Amino acid sequence: MSENNSFQKFRGASKYVLDEELAKIVNVSMALEMPLLLKGEPGTGKTMLAHAIAENLAMPLISLNVKSSMKLVDALYQYDTLTRLNDSRFGDSTRDVSNIEDYIRMGKIGQAFVSDVRTVLLIDEIDKADTDFQDDMLDILDQMEFDIMEIDKTVKAKNRPVIIITSNAKKDLSDPFLGRCNFHHIAFPDTDMMKRIIAVHFPNLDQEVADACIEAFYRFRRVDGIEKKPATRELINWIRALKADPDFDVSSLSRGDVPYLGVFFKKSTDLAMASKMIARSQN
Amino acid sequence: MFINFFYSLRDHGIPVSPTSFLRFHKALNTGQVLSLKDLYTVARSTLVKSERYFDSYDQIFAHYFEGAEMPPITDLELDEIARALLEEWLKNPAQMADALGIDESKLRKYTPEELIQYFLDRLKEQTKEHHGGDRWIGTGGTSPVGHSGVHPGGMRVGGSGGGMSAIKVALERRYRDYSQQGPLTQSQIGEALKKLRRMVPSGPRDVVNIDKTIYETMRNAGEIEIVFDKRLKDRLKIILMIDNGGWSMDPYVHIVQVLFDYARDQFKELKTYFFHNTIYEKVWEDYTRYKKPQKIITFPNKDPESRIVIVGDASMAPYELMYESGSIYFEEKKSKASIDNLKFLAKTFRHTVWLNPRPRNQWSHTWTIDAIQEVFPMYELTLDGLDKAVNYLMLRN
Repeated sequence: MSENNSFQKFRGASKYVLDEELAKIVNVSMALEMPLLLKGEPGTGKTMLAHAIAENLAMPLISLNVKSSMKLVDALYQYDTLTRLNDSRFGDSTRDVSNIEDYIRMGKIGQAFVSDVRTVLLIDEIDKADTDFQDDMLDILDQMEFDIMEIDKTVKAKNRPVIIITSNAKKDLSDPFLGRCNFHHIAFPDTDMMKRIIAVHFPNLDQEVADACIEAFYRFRRVDGIEKKPATRELINWIRALKADPDFDVSSLSRGDVPYLGVFFKKSTDLAMASKMIARSQN
Repeated sequence: MFINFFYSLRDHGIPVSPTSFLRFHKALNTGQVLSLKDLYTVARSTLVKSERYFDSYDQIFAHYFEGAEMPPITDLELDEIARALLEEWLKNPAQMADALGIDESKLRKYTPEELIQYFLDRLKEQTKEHHGGDRWIGTGGTSPVGHSGVHPGGMRVGGSGGGMSAIKVALERRYRDYSQQGPLTQSQIGEALKKLRRMVPSGPRDVVNIDKTIYETMRNAGEIEIVFDKRLKDRLKIILMIDNGGWSMDPYVHIVQVLFDYARDQFKELKTYFFHNTIYEKVWEDYTRYKKPQKIITFPNKDPESRIVIVGDASMAPYELMYESGSIYFEEKKSKASIDNLKFLAKTFRHTVWLNPRPRNQWSHTWTIDAIQEVFPMYELTLDGLDKAVNYLMLRN
């Protein structure tokens, strides 16, 4: 582990608005060499944070998107038996059929371990996997090594990656898992934070338009009984849609005339409810 | 350092492990903690592992480092404690009576409403007279309502960092909303539901079956023959029906829902319905049993391979179960006898179980439990019972 890297500090990236608190937590996690577990509702920028860290520290980002059917070994390495079978039959490749190591391919965690430079390893949506996967994975991330059974070889991490783990679920992860992570819950940004986020994404946007859009956005989030509340991503897409529309006029927003509601609400019941609310407010 | 702070957190029900406390000290030595605000942030990220405890943490932090008053308990919170007390009471009256120093037999006569009122009165009395005293009673560690312990004194850290001070941040109680969500301590029980799955091949044939490939290749005298299979997917649909009428079921409704929500992602579909005591013509999708009724008659439209899990204490007056028009609801008066509806369900779906939160040794005292047991296999709502129920649901025939 190079000394230089551990003293690098994270200060935020070009497209990511970071609050001071979160920056501190990222830095401490890096200093403690512990994975950072991020929870929060969708659209609060959990995944974006990993991208931002990678950009800021100029480290390559390796992201492992966890799937429910995934086995831990898939994330570590794969033994490509089929290619080997094929090679043994036709023998027209440069690989050595009797050397199994030629047919071992690194999975995402493996790649982060063997990389020559320190990387940011993003493990996205860990809650999708079962508890065994989660606990076993942390064992490996703790020890920074794993065995390749087929060739009886141990892979050790050359550089300890910066590990960011995200979870969407409201349910808790297992206690041993939590015990080995630093934890942060990203709350949904408040209005001021959102203004800064929008300013980063749309530097040329008129202030008046931005404020009106954000205000409308929070009004929609407050509609009662909505199943899937619109998140930051929806707001950004919505503003993009408004910007593309030459007929759009800011004053119409305050009159309660809101175009492209479908960008905000992806469920038909939610959409109906929101339209109803708008209709009511116009009367 | 901060030993009292550590115990203060633990005393208020935040599960802080000694390991994480040591790690917190390690963090202090990294040179990252330069202000009180840093301390606030770093301590939280290393010690507190769920946003549900953030609110408690904020209060304790503010109290500990600035001697802020623990906020007075609001009526709403009082109400919650009283409810928690009632739950405790239902689980173990003798122990509670002992803890409160009251006569168990006296309280036994009270209705749940009277009990709640009684607890509320006691709690109000308590807040008035015992400011800063010891905590009166535990509420299972979920409610951030402890009256402060002894102020440790002397443990002040001077000067706060730039921007908003940590105390101010803590006093904002930004995480208040999160602390209201119930504890999900049933995660181990959720594991029991893991067995509840049925893997069925589906989708395109895109997975190589290595054993078959090797076999076929050998049969082909070494000419490669690759065999593809469909992916295995879990296609199990679960229908959960919960009796949420009446206070006797109250303590369990939440647990059961949590249980199945926890395992939700492993099922193809999980539908929850509610009923009161037993099932008549319809069940409801909404908790209030009012907005979204679903007629039992329409259930055969669903996949007959769905697993039905009914949760209820199955205890009621015999006529509610056996007689036509036995429903206690006026608008349901003209219906088949409930037992016929249950039989109808049992016939439509081969895999149905009834989970009963009452302990098995009490079952024989209630006539309706026997009657329902003849229709559905019934299991206790315990880890063990759940395991048996899952095994039954997964039987092939």
